[in-house]
Amino acid sequence: MDKIKICHLYHDVLNLYGDTGNVITMKKRLEWRGFETEVTDLSFGEFDLSSKYDIIFIGGGQDFEQGILTEDLFKYKSGWLKEQIENGTVVLAICGGYQMLGNYYITDKGENIKFLGAVDIYTKASSPRMIGNIVYSTELNGKSPVAAFENHSGKTYLGKGVSPLGKVVKGFGNNGEDGTEGARYKNVFATYGHGPLLPKNPVLCDSILLTALKAHGVSDLSELDDRVENAALENALGLYG
Amino acid sequence: MGIRSAFAVMAGKFTAKILHILGRGATSLPGVVTLKICPDVLGALAKNIKVICVTGTNGKTTTCHAITDMISANGYTFLTNGAGANMLNGVVGCFMDAATVTGKVRRDYAVLECDEASLKNITKSFKGLDVTVVVTNIFRDQLDRYGEVLTTLDLIQKGLAFVPDATLCLNADCSLTSSLAESVKHKKHYFFGINCGFENSSSTDISDAVYCIKCKTKYKYHSSTFGHLGDFYCENCGYHRQKPYIAIEQVKAFKPASAEVTMSIDGKSYDTEITLPGAYNLYNGLAAAIVGKTIGLDDETVISSMKKLTTPFGRMEHIPLTDKGVELILVKNPAGFNEVISFLTAHCTGEDDILFGLNDNSADGTDVSWIWDVEFEKLSVRIAEITNDKQTFFFTGKRGEDLQVRLKYAGFDTEKFRLDKDYRTLIQTIKSTGRHTYMVLSYTVMLAFRDKLGEVVELKKYAR
Repeated sequence: MDKIKICHLYHDVLNLYGDTGNVITMKKRLEWRGFETEVTDLSFGEFDLSSKYDIIFIGGGQDFEQGILTEDLFKYKSGWLKEQIENGTVVLAICGGYQMLGNYYITDKGENIKFLGAVDIYTKASSPRMIGNIVYSTELNGKSPVAAFENHSGKTYLGKGVSPLGKVVKGFGNNGEDGTEGARYKNVFATYGHGPLLPKNPVLCDSILLTALKAHGVSDLSELDDRVENAALENALGLYG
Repeated sequence: MGIRSAFAVMAGKFTAKILHILGRGATSLPGVVTLKICPDVLGALAKNIKVICVTGTNGKTTTCHAITDMISANGYTFLTNGAGANMLNGVVGCFMDAATVTGKVRRDYAVLECDEASLKNITKSFKGLDVTVVVTNIFRDQLDRYGEVLTTLDLIQKGLAFVPDATLCLNADCSLTSSLAESVKHKKHYFFGINCGFENSSSTDISDAVYCIKCKTKYKYHSSTFGHLGDFYCENCGYHRQKPYIAIEQVKAFKPASAEVTMSIDGKSYDTEITLPGAYNLYNGLAAAIVGKTIGLDDETVISSMKKLTTPFGRMEHIPLTDKGVELILVKNPAGFNEVISFLTAHCTGEDDILFGLNDNSADGTDVSWIWDVEFEKLSVRIAEITNDKQTFFFTGKRGEDLQVRLKYAGFDTEKFRLDKDYRTLIQTIKSTGRHTYMVLSYTVMLAFRDKLGEVVELKKYAR
């Protein structure tokens, strides 16, 4: 079987809240099941446009780098990334990475910043920041809700062809208004959940991995000993659920 | 001192006395009371004292401790606040402790640890006084509080603006910190830095300042030490590291509790030993050295003082819980934790157990995701080489489970994990092993755990 290829997009800029833990977790859970896995860090500048990956991961970052980031996105990567999404590549996008996939961002001064436009969502600056532990339900995490941490000032609204990733149980979610959290479009999984998201939500991690592995003819995953992961999930739900 | 401020001081001292009688070592309440009565009391109290403020993300407490070691060894008197009391209330509180009932403070120096966000509230009262400000470094810290590193930089700038005549002591190797020399109008500034990079320095992946603060081009480095610290330069706009006035030229040997180094002061070389553990503490020793120079000590005195520095509360503090003892190590953010990981990777053997403790209270950072920016993988590789059947990794704190997950994914053997959230039984378990244990704890775990240790062994008393 071919190597499972994970792309960590803008790994050196969108690296603010330990989101790289998601990449570590996906890689380990694949390797523990015997899949050879390769992680490629893809940052600014030109790259091979014929590159194909099983999973593209995009994390959250700080505002300082946002300008140079969108510049690079439109110069080198927007066409490629949209094509990957349309073709069904699995994309996991967190917080800033999530917002970036949408149509635009309206700043607190009313400026409209154009984003990728790959997923029909938009984000609007708001105040105060939505910070804290978040719990949301999604069938992708099995019987248990997801425990994570959110920290965003933008409120995100979903368009018609986009469904939420989950329903907010505790916390703000997309906008603190409509009870939705995150977005699902094709094989895009987008969320405000840091924590990082996947390490203590192993069922959700496996759901995402399985979506990517289908292209390799894999239809189910062997069980792993998740006692440590589940203990962390239960603890977080006990504290904040 | 006016009547209002004198009365305020009395009220504050009275509050402190009551707290003392109640057996509560609280540090901020007397300050709160005093400030309520007289908001500008600090300026009145500090009028005849030379002030040294230490701010920055990491190393504030150790640097203050090193400075007080140095100035007291040279016959000066001082007052100081200390960890946990580094906001305005705490600073006012420590002045009041030192003040007479009539509000006079007879000390040569005030050595003040200043929280980055509180610096401006503190320096506001120091206009026109003899002030030195040390900025140790700027890293990501408790993101849920400050947002991002540029916010921290901005807060420090605001603090410096109140004291335009202050002498600045800046970390040359930190591109964020050294940018202060240009962004503020201060004429007197001195840089300290490490001229030799370290092998195995942290990867730039976890860098908190990848892109030039002036033109947003990626920095290049001639050499690097930790995170984004090093001999940086920007090819595009020419922004680059300043030549340090005091520097480490060479590290001859790292020992568990010190480092043998060649230091230079204004171009002159000296061999000495800096008696602080861990490579990261070299910066804190240098910061103290530069303060020594700015207060007028000669080179030889500064160099010999380096051999007599001691560590403060919770910073590699040795406690005789077992025959071999245990070491308390405080961790607050990824950069500091990575430095501890480097230390453990260099010094941990199969005969050492490690306790990791994590809370998510506001003083620890309510978002625990930062532990994923810590390179446990590096330690895991080392542990795999040296471990034995006896070695145990203990976990505690409200979010101890999250640490267990982090270490599992870093490659640690989960069979060696042991989670216990009850500090008392955990202490008994560790005591019964008789083994040496490194105890790596976040802030509020440290405070509570140390108190429980105090029920079993005698602890050094610290102002905190």
